[in-house]
Amino acid sequence: MSADLAPSEVGTTPPEIHHKIGVLTRQLHDSLSGLGLTEKLQGTASELPDAKSRLTYIARLTGEAAEKVLNRVDQAKAQHDHIAAETRRLAALIVKDPVAAVAKGHVMNFVTDVEQATKEIDQHLTEIMMAQDFHDLTGQVIARVVNLAATIEEQLVQLLIETAPPSAAKTAAAAAAAAPEYKPALAGPVVNPEGNTDVVTDQSQVDDLLASLGF
Amino acid sequence: MSDLRFLIVDDFSTMRRIVRNLLKESGFTDADEAEDGVVALHKLRNGKFDFVVSDINMPNMTGFQLLAEIKKDDKLKHLPVLMVTAEARKEDIVLAAQQGAAGYIVKPFTKATLEDKVTNILKKMGLQ
Repeated sequence: MSADLAPSEVGTTPPEIHHKIGVLTRQLHDSLSGLGLTEKLQGTASELPDAKSRLTYIARLTGEAAEKVLNRVDQAKAQHDHIAAETRRLAALIVKDPVAAVAKGHVMNFVTDVEQATKEIDQHLTEIMMAQDFHDLTGQVIARVVNLAATIEEQLVQLLIETAPPSAAKTAAAAAAAAPEYKPALAGPVVNPEGNTDVVTDQSQVDDLLASLGF
Repeated sequence: MSDLRFLIVDDFSTMRRIVRNLLKESGFTDADEAEDGVVALHKLRNGKFDFVVSDINMPNMTGFQLLAEIKKDDKLKHLPVLMVTAEARKEDIVLAAQQGAAGYIVKPFTKATLEDKVTNILKKMGLQ
């Protein structure tokens, strides 16, 4: 941590760092207000609390799905263990006296047991399958949050270009013009970016642009 | 086992798989899939289907747009379209009904809900 701080800040306590961040934030806000630029970000920034609740929703849904699956697995395993134990017991009875095993109803009882257990296990498997619906629901929410982040990022980059000093502005604008058009993801996270020409490697483009502005 | 052919339309493969498995458990084993309305429409126009289960929020062509296209097409308008979607706004439900959707299920849903809706729709249409 201390390697990232200016020499004067080495050894600064957290409350002091917080104060410095607060001062910087106020300076940024005042600068943006002075330039009349805060409104550009206002729309998207107001969606941030909504983004937080969406992320909380995602965490909750995935947690509930994991819990549901684990509970069902526990129950299915218990029934599976029961059938396995009954199978071993019946096998021993058949070896000892196959006629008695049938006559005394052991075989029939076992068959009934297996039928019941397989029905219940099947139900558990169906519920485990249904629990995977979190993928669809969280995926749609993630897409919205990603879109929001991309919009904010795009607007901040635009602000940087507009507020760049004249000497850097030309370079920055040229770099932005040379960069491929950024298309924010519409639905869910990108799974296989390698070789996918539809995916814009926007972080490197943003990094290049920031570098050209001296950041 | 029914010989009715279903088309499952959803941009999430997990959801398509879940619906497909549930239909199978309900006795409907013949099903195809489409990841959006455009692909779905192409399959419907070039194949033979008896029932459509569709999401609403999809890229390229939404479920509402797909529904409108189906109802505009003389060869497809008889098809029952069951919307299965995370969109829970009343206006969407009303819109789906006004556009001719045969049913509307909100995600997350249970196996029993899907089975009930499909069965009721088929009974209304005299297909079961």
